[in-house]
Amino acid sequence: MSAVITIDHVSKAYGTCQAVSDLTLSLNSGEILGFLGANGAGKTTTIKMLLGFFAPDNGQIAVYGQNPSDAATRQRVGYMPETAYYYPYLNIHELLSFYGGLCGMSADLIHQRSEELIARTGLEHAGKRLLKTYSKGMLQRAGIAQALLHDPDLLILDEPFTGLDPLARIQLRDLILDLKTKGKTILFSSHELSEAELMCDRVAIMKAGKLVLDKPVKEVVCDNNTNLERIFLNVLQSS
Amino acid sequence: MHTLRQISALMRLSLFDLYRRKDLVVVALLAVVLLVPLSFATPFGVKGASRYLNEIALLLVWIFVLVISMTRTARIIPTEVESRTIYPLLAKPASRTVILFGRYAGVLLASLSVLFLFYFLYALINNLKSAFFPWEVFLQAFFLHAGFIILVTSLALLGSLYFNPDANLSVMGILVVSMFLYGQQLPALAAEHALPIRTLIHTFYWLAPHCELFDMRTRLIHHWPAVPWSVCCMAFLYALIYAALCFWAAAGLFNRKKI
Repeated sequence: MSAVITIDHVSKAYGTCQAVSDLTLSLNSGEILGFLGANGAGKTTTIKMLLGFFAPDNGQIAVYGQNPSDAATRQRVGYMPETAYYYPYLNIHELLSFYGGLCGMSADLIHQRSEELIARTGLEHAGKRLLKTYSKGMLQRAGIAQALLHDPDLLILDEPFTGLDPLARIQLRDLILDLKTKGKTILFSSHELSEAELMCDRVAIMKAGKLVLDKPVKEVVCDNNTNLERIFLNVLQSS
Repeated sequence: MHTLRQISALMRLSLFDLYRRKDLVVVALLAVVLLVPLSFATPFGVKGASRYLNEIALLLVWIFVLVISMTRTARIIPTEVESRTIYPLLAKPASRTVILFGRYAGVLLASLSVLFLFYFLYALINNLKSAFFPWEVFLQAFFLHAGFIILVTSLALLGSLYFNPDANLSVMGILVVSMFLYGQQLPALAAEHALPIRTLIHTFYWLAPHCELFDMRTRLIHHWPAVPWSVCCMAFLYALIYAALCFWAAAGLFNRKKI
């Protein structure tokens, strides 16, 4: 399997606060990686570097072998931010049309993909409503739709389960597993350990900017004969 | 094609913003309030005095268009950052320069459409009111006013990447108004001073935006003859070059900005 993401001895500090420290991690094609850690562990900073929002202070990051700050690299990447902030004066069709245009998609393709994704995320009934009237869960679903719009090979989902009701959570889990069967590579950060245990091939746990565990889920759970939640707590308390 | 689609999508977003936030309704009401009563009134029954009311109306149009276009431009990037809509935007396969250009072009188009609305209403009212209307001067006034908007919005865009929106509007507002009022007097002022200060004033004179080049209000109100179109085109070209330089500097800053 080829490496989709390569993070090599990366560090990043905000002033005196060391957000990420000497992180080395890779993600192979077709894998689902659960990127876990407590609040402030450095997950979102790592994701922002993966998207080229800023460069690391030290080390190298490559996505599909390219610099993530190159616009062309992001053609293969879909991103759903931690908190769904979208233009409140647009409806979901207009939002997807806007992002589709940004991805350089033709009007016909945007229309086709939008209809498909709106149906898949269960937002058909709210198609004409402005986003400012959406609930938090609906905004999360709009975020998933915009991330999938240009059919990316790599999906980076930052806390995708936040604000979703149990039914929507199951739908999202099914959607992610379906994307895996289509060969997509997925990295998602989450506090939902049960979801991570159900879906991920591998988990990486961060603590205070450092990677403290990077193993296949089955290995972690079977070796210790317990669940991921217990392992997570043990890892954070022991290291 | 790819880049054009991206720019077109970004420009549409600015127009949606203008339309959905009811800004156009406010502008239309403002245009009616400013222009209709002033243009129809004949103060003290003195024939010709309405010209001075027209002058006030046009001055108010200048001020409001300046405020609307500068505030909208000054808030493009800060609003994206504050509302965090910048994150999904930057994650898309568009370069930061394209994003900045598309958003700026959209706001510029929105500002020019507001300007068009004011001038359209002005022409309509004056045509209804009097038999003679100086069409050529009117078109030159609109053309140069559009150049002025291009110039000041590019300055506001550049400032928005240095300052917070309030400081940006204050600094750029003072610069634009000062150049409007005192720009032409700077060479005379420089001549009155000794060398180091003279050089400083001259440097400022050549670097600062020459807003006074774009004001045709007096010619329009008092029905003075039109200026040669070549002069108008030179002034407009000056605005385009100045705006291009400001955009180039703004894109440099935006590309290095930590989000």
